[in-house]
Amino acid sequence: MPTLTDRVWSPYLAGVIIGLLQIPAFLLADTALGASSSFVTAAGFLASTVDSGVAQIDYFVSHMTSGKYFWQSALVIGIAIGAFVSARASRSGRPSFSGAWTRLVGVRSFWARSAMAFAGGFVMLLGARIAGGCTSGHGISGMAQLAIGSFAAVAAMFAGGILVASLFRRA
Amino acid sequence: MGILGLVILGLVMGLVFGVALEKSRVMEPGIIVGQFQFRTFIMLKMFLTATATGLVVLAVLYGFGWVELGPKAMAVGPVLVGGLILGAGIALSGACPGTALAQAGAGYRDALFIIAGGVFGAMAYGYFKAEIDGLLAMGDYGKITLADVLPVPFWVLALAFAALLVAVIVALETWRPWRSEMGPGGTGVWDGEPGTGRAGKHPAGGTRPIEA
Repeated sequence: MPTLTDRVWSPYLAGVIIGLLQIPAFLLADTALGASSSFVTAAGFLASTVDSGVAQIDYFVSHMTSGKYFWQSALVIGIAIGAFVSARASRSGRPSFSGAWTRLVGVRSFWARSAMAFAGGFVMLLGARIAGGCTSGHGISGMAQLAIGSFAAVAAMFAGGILVASLFRRA
Repeated sequence: MGILGLVILGLVMGLVFGVALEKSRVMEPGIIVGQFQFRTFIMLKMFLTATATGLVVLAVLYGFGWVELGPKAMAVGPVLVGGLILGAGIALSGACPGTALAQAGAGYRDALFIIAGGVFGAMAYGYFKAEIDGLLAMGDYGKITLADVLPVPFWVLALAFAALLVAVIVALETWRPWRSEMGPGGTGVWDGEPGTGRAGKHPAGGTRPIEA
């Protein structure tokens, strides 16, 4: 029986749990699992602190006023809390950045890796917002709805990832 | 449901999501990049299982008419170009938008920079949405699903596709048992020289302590 103190669970158990989360998502929040829209919500509130023009940009405004984006923002905050609880309960402490990075790209300092992480995050969300969803929204949720656009998005996503990862050393 | 209710619901669901991501190690950079390098298949196994489960869930919920679907549009330009950029970003980040939060929660401090970069990336799109969308405006077929283009009801297609995914998952697990793919610390990274690590040589993977 899997418990919170286990260090690892099978990816199949995790997959079933995440798939079952679609039930409350569709029945109670009236939307599908997703993550990348919450970054627009955060961006809108951050930009509005220095730019009053944000109130005239519909894309930001809709992400700052609709209940489903508050739900999604709470969801991603919950993900961080859940991962914290899970890592603590299983005593799975992490270093400041994964040792995989030293092997993959030779980076040894935290600040060098953080610069790469910032650039990666920027590119990732720019792409996700252009595509209209990420691994959750287009991937897990879009494919579960048999959305043709999501099949194309997932194929393109893997292609982009495979291309860049092929430039790294193999860890 | 009111805003407060939605926020509480989101937090509770996120908690479950975060535990599943940390325990399955699908939030590890070594596992995510490892998937793109075809070294480990943990991410694909979780992803396909979550999709298959979602297909069965929606076959029932939508089949009985209890929920509406909300598929995203098949807009060739944005979906292909955006998807490619997204994939490149995932490889550089070693995270997806959701798993970046799980990394931060688990203690990887560089993930805070992925999140910050992500907020600015989303902000850049918000400010230049009209220009970017104009540049990529091609082949918009609307919010179509396979059930719209095939003469078969959604629930039949969903269950059939779920069955296909289960067959793929069984084949993947037979080929490479998941425990052999985790790496000694559950990070998808093996000891020794980079590039020498191979799945299957470390049957005890994921059970030894993680060096912090």
